[in-house]
Amino acid sequence: MAMQRRDFMRAMLAATVAPAAVAQMEAQAAAPTPTKEGPPAPGPVPWMRGLDSAKVDPASTISPEEIGLEDVRFFTQTQMDTLRHLSDILVPPLKGKPGAVAAGAPEFMDFYVGESLPDTKMLYQGGLDWIDSESRQKLGKAFAQTNETEAAGLIKPWLRTWMTDHYPHPVHERFLTVALHDLRFATTNSQAWADTIAGKEEKPWMDLYWSPVQPDISRDYFRPAQHVVTPAKHPSKR
Amino acid sequence: MSKEVVDVLIIGSGHSGGMAAKMLTERGINCLMLNAGPIADVTKNAEEKPAHALPYRGFRPPSRLPHVFQSNEFNANVWVDEKEVPYTYDPEHPYNWVRVRLFGGRSLFWSRQSFRLSDYELKGKSHDGFGDDWPINHADLDPYYSKVEQIFHVTGNKDGIPQMPDGDFFNDKTPWSPAMTRLRSVAEKNKFPCVKQRRAEGHDGLASSVNLLLPAAFATGKLKVIPNVIVRELSVDKNTGLVNGAHFVDRISRREMSVKARVVVLAAGTLESTRLLMNSKIANSSGVMGHYLCDQTYGVGVTCSVPEARNGRGSKITGGGAIMPRFRNLDTKASNFLRGYAYNCYSSTGAMDARCFATYGQELEDKLAEYHGSGVTLSAMCEVLARYENHVRPSTDVVDAWGIPALHIQARYGDNEFNMARDAADTAEQLAHEAGFEVLAKNSEPNPPGYSIHELGTCRMGNDPKTSVLNKWNQSHDIKNLFVVDGASFVSAGWQNPTMTILALAMRSSEYLAEQMRLRAV
Repeated sequence: MAMQRRDFMRAMLAATVAPAAVAQMEAQAAAPTPTKEGPPAPGPVPWMRGLDSAKVDPASTISPEEIGLEDVRFFTQTQMDTLRHLSDILVPPLKGKPGAVAAGAPEFMDFYVGESLPDTKMLYQGGLDWIDSESRQKLGKAFAQTNETEAAGLIKPWLRTWMTDHYPHPVHERFLTVALHDLRFATTNSQAWADTIAGKEEKPWMDLYWSPVQPDISRDYFRPAQHVVTPAKHPSKR
Repeated sequence: MSKEVVDVLIIGSGHSGGMAAKMLTERGINCLMLNAGPIADVTKNAEEKPAHALPYRGFRPPSRLPHVFQSNEFNANVWVDEKEVPYTYDPEHPYNWVRVRLFGGRSLFWSRQSFRLSDYELKGKSHDGFGDDWPINHADLDPYYSKVEQIFHVTGNKDGIPQMPDGDFFNDKTPWSPAMTRLRSVAEKNKFPCVKQRRAEGHDGLASSVNLLLPAAFATGKLKVIPNVIVRELSVDKNTGLVNGAHFVDRISRREMSVKARVVVLAAGTLESTRLLMNSKIANSSGVMGHYLCDQTYGVGVTCSVPEARNGRGSKITGGGAIMPRFRNLDTKASNFLRGYAYNCYSSTGAMDARCFATYGQELEDKLAEYHGSGVTLSAMCEVLARYENHVRPSTDVVDAWGIPALHIQARYGDNEFNMARDAADTAEQLAHEAGFEVLAKNSEPNPPGYSIHELGTCRMGNDPKTSVLNKWNQSHDIKNLFVVDGASFVSAGWQNPTMTILALAMRSSEYLAEQMRLRAV
């Protein structure tokens, strides 16, 4: 298998040409090759060897979440209180596994949603405001103050089964279904969860992670492209 | 400095480009392949990691790839970035355009399902009066399908089902689990076929142009490739009207360059090939370029549990998969839709999905434990009608990171799609009940257009240059040295995953092109 991959890569390299080799270029005057005199310039090889043999111990690297988290950045304090309580209700600690709160899932969602596109932000902000308002209207207290039974009464009527990337449409069902999925996901993929199951039969989610492949280094410098042409917007004249 | 004129310029390195390169170079023709993205080296660019070590805990990076529902943090960097190569659509009618520009394209990651189109699809209009027939039939494609199935090592059986033609498969003699046997007998009672899946196993775990097609091309010594170059437009000889090359830009340095070619083969993927032709403003005397965009609707189906397989008995009862090819509108007529759909059936001895239970906390964990290993899913692939109104055109105000006009996609599903989807969901539920399965989740509504990642059409083939862009050899009616060998040439989508057909068409077209070049007719 490795042999075939090497053969393929060798064949690819042999067949790959730089664009300049077949492109039309401006004429260039040939420059004379300078004669080599004096000691060779320090090349990459000794430096790379030194770096290669001095690996940073993985056991000594920790996640920034282990030493502390930033303050709430996106949700309001009330929304965050609601989210923390919702997280604790939807994904409680069970059988020695951390719940969403111990896994830092509410704080993670505050960060993640805060970076997300408007529809995700609106879904969460709207949903957290809504369930808190439901609680105040029906039970006379903030959602964050409800007990398990009271919270279940507010949540369960809206949960739905779903499949194949097709979340429910109606907004309250959608919010609670998405929140349940996201909080479970954030919890089972947390360091706290991984620490709890270390050495046991259950394994954390391991997968092939792709780094950016030859990233476009000038990606940040191009004019940001508009996303969607809305009917009300007229194309600007250039 | 080079003024070299290339024999054949191939744009794209996926299934269709790879097949064209193999066929042409094996017939002695020098080819230059351009690819928009880099060559991926899985040993350098990818690494096994746990989700908890990633910044987003496995979630798709926020704000990235909103239309690639299939993306997550692990694979986010393989898909084309939507900010780098944006596209537009009417906000009322979203489209999921899912692309890969790594060398090998989507052939690196496809799902391997390998079905032939039948004459129910290729001659759909003759069968039910809608749309247009393809200018070819199954007999025309049969020898090419067979060769493709051999190259791609397709497993399956000769099932004798007219709507899913048999091919040259490596027989699948794996046994049926009790759960699947029950499903099969229920299907049989309803006169629906339910047979082993057909899957391209490829070689060494990969079934891609990079390991099955391109090595043979490289071995001839007649293929050169240039990664990381984006074609801006094709150039045309003003005197002859023939294409004579392409202008392209280096992805990373932004340097503008061009190359001259005797023949151009577009294999950039359905919508990228069409986008390039539209930006080049050529080959559209028919006026239908960009139109008749279609795919399959996905997302509809049921997730069930086999009661006898619960409480730890799953491993003896569930497992394995099947395909139930189209059974609607063959000899009978459905009341409110044309064409048909197929079911992917699979059952798992593993964990159930939490989405199957509308609950949380201890109750959810109890359900997951009880139902572990008892899951069966029927998931529909429904044909989308090819309609003129579903179309693409260049955007008038959005460009990509290299200043190339983006694509505007205007497409929506209609009554036929929604009615078919409802029938597919209801019939799946009925089959599940007849088999004694408990239905846990049901979805009757398709996921957004494009979600299938099977976008097809927009440069459709046909015998009449007034109503088609390409002839039956994937050759432009207007410009004889221009070929489009990817999914853009499709006249209709069928229910079948398009890869086998794309490969067969590319093979047939390239064979024809090679002969035309030998005869100096092109």
